[in-house]
Amino acid sequence: MSDLAIKTVNLTKRYSGLWSKQPVDAVKNLNLEVHRGEIFGFLGPNGAGKTTTIKVLLGIIYPTEGEAYVLGKPAGDPKNHYRISYLPENPYFYDFMTGREILTFYAKLFGIPEPQRSKRVNELLDRVGLSRAADQPLRTYSKGMQQRIGLAQCLINDPELLILDEPTAGLDPIAHIDIRDMILDLRDQGKTLFISSHQLSDVERVCDRVAILNKGVMVQLGRIEELLAGGHVEVIADKVPDNAVEPIRQLGGKVSLHDGRLIVEQPDNGSVDRVIDIVRAAGGHIISVKPYRRSLEDLFVETIQGGKNA
Amino acid sequence: MNATFAIAGATFGEAVRKRILMVILLVALLIILISPAFEPFAAGRGARTLIISFGFGVIQLAGTFIAIIMCTGMIPTEIERRTIYTILSKPVQRYQFVLGKFFGAVGTLGFMYLMMGIVFMIASRMALGELEPKIVRGLIMFFFQSSLLAAVVLFFSTFVSPLVNYFLSGGVFLLGNLLSSFLETIQRNPEVTPITRIPVQLLTVILPNFANFNVQNPIINPEQVLTDEFAYLVQTLAYAVVYIALLLVASMLIFNQREM
Repeated sequence: MSDLAIKTVNLTKRYSGLWSKQPVDAVKNLNLEVHRGEIFGFLGPNGAGKTTTIKVLLGIIYPTEGEAYVLGKPAGDPKNHYRISYLPENPYFYDFMTGREILTFYAKLFGIPEPQRSKRVNELLDRVGLSRAADQPLRTYSKGMQQRIGLAQCLINDPELLILDEPTAGLDPIAHIDIRDMILDLRDQGKTLFISSHQLSDVERVCDRVAILNKGVMVQLGRIEELLAGGHVEVIADKVPDNAVEPIRQLGGKVSLHDGRLIVEQPDNGSVDRVIDIVRAAGGHIISVKPYRRSLEDLFVETIQGGKNA
Repeated sequence: MNATFAIAGATFGEAVRKRILMVILLVALLIILISPAFEPFAAGRGARTLIISFGFGVIQLAGTFIAIIMCTGMIPTEIERRTIYTILSKPVQRYQFVLGKFFGAVGTLGFMYLMMGIVFMIASRMALGELEPKIVRGLIMFFFQSSLLAAVVLFFSTFVSPLVNYFLSGGVFLLGNLLSSFLETIQRNPEVTPITRIPVQLLTVILPNFANFNVQNPIINPEQVLTDEFAYLVQTLAYAVVYIALLLVASMLIFNQREM
């Protein structure tokens, strides 16, 4: 059995409109490998090609060039659909149905017979904390409850791979944490999760690896801790004379002095002590020393803006 | 088939809760119920003819509107709302989705026709003092006409937007009602050139003939005399079934290739 849950080889999806002169590559030569049992973050600005890639993986659209495999089979293989699940961004579920009815509907799509169907539906309602609201129509559900029912419909077949598109978008902090905890629970159960999201703090917290896509091209790929290595320390001091600036500049990093107020950004801890010594020796006062870890947001912005400037 | 029926059930459940369809149904029911009040306008045709024709006219019009309004957005709306992605990412084939949508639409039409039929029979029984047997046959014919129209609309909805679909389906329904009479007229006229006649003949063959289903309406077809009414009924319904099957196959083939 392959260790890969998802694999794409030079995957390209090109759109050429009936009247448009120039075809557009929504995804270009994407080579991606997602391992079984990991939480993989699939990031990128709007229009980067994330949803297009997901649709190819689900067999909803077809690749123009290249190949895509899901759980070892070509993307779109109907047999795979028993083993995967998908939660689209802001989906609409038939809102005249109750929570129980919508899960029963999805269970029927899998051909799950009674009494297993009712048992499974009740288990899932309990798992996502909607047992008490099970018989209320979905139109009375809050956004958080709708998202929980969306996650429940994803779990109806006990899938090996879950593809979640913006699972925490638009949720209040409590619902946000609930969904995030559910995602971590799923990883603990050995599921593979492929998450496309703009909620970078969530991705940073839960994902093992991430890929960043920009204009259809993958521009970053790696483990979170490797990608985020290399933070900086910010030193703020007051009453620093002008003659202290030059020796600090020689240590490297960003230095700015205005009206005796000094702000220094050092790329590592090594020279911070030296900066403090120089400031004190020159009669200045240290106001704060703050270590800044590089966040996924920093990486994302650098990557995307770097791409724009390139 | 489990998935097809589950989709059909959801489609039916959603359609019967659509306000616009319910308003059309209620207005139709109301007009059918008060149709005996139009008896003074019979002008020689007789109360029976007026009440039956009027009732059928209202039912046909309501059935047409319901079929078009219900089916135009059936597939585009599912794509727009992303519900279709949660369905097609399950072990559901695209043809099952199309079939489920069609069966759901036909189920809704059946429900609407049942409601209108019951009220029509009650109203005509009260006005005429007896139950007119042609009502049931007429209802079946119009139900199949609407089902055929639903298949046409669903076919277009696999590749055009709802707005375009309104015009296309409306146009096909109109042409399908008029073309056979038009063809008869131009065939009787020796001055009509083949340049005019051949396209009309071609369109008459290609487009569904909705006029066949109108025989029960004595106002629309006052001179229609059927020698074997049962054979005509069976033939027309078989035509509808075959045409619907062809449209569904075409819809499935197009939808199978469609990128969403």
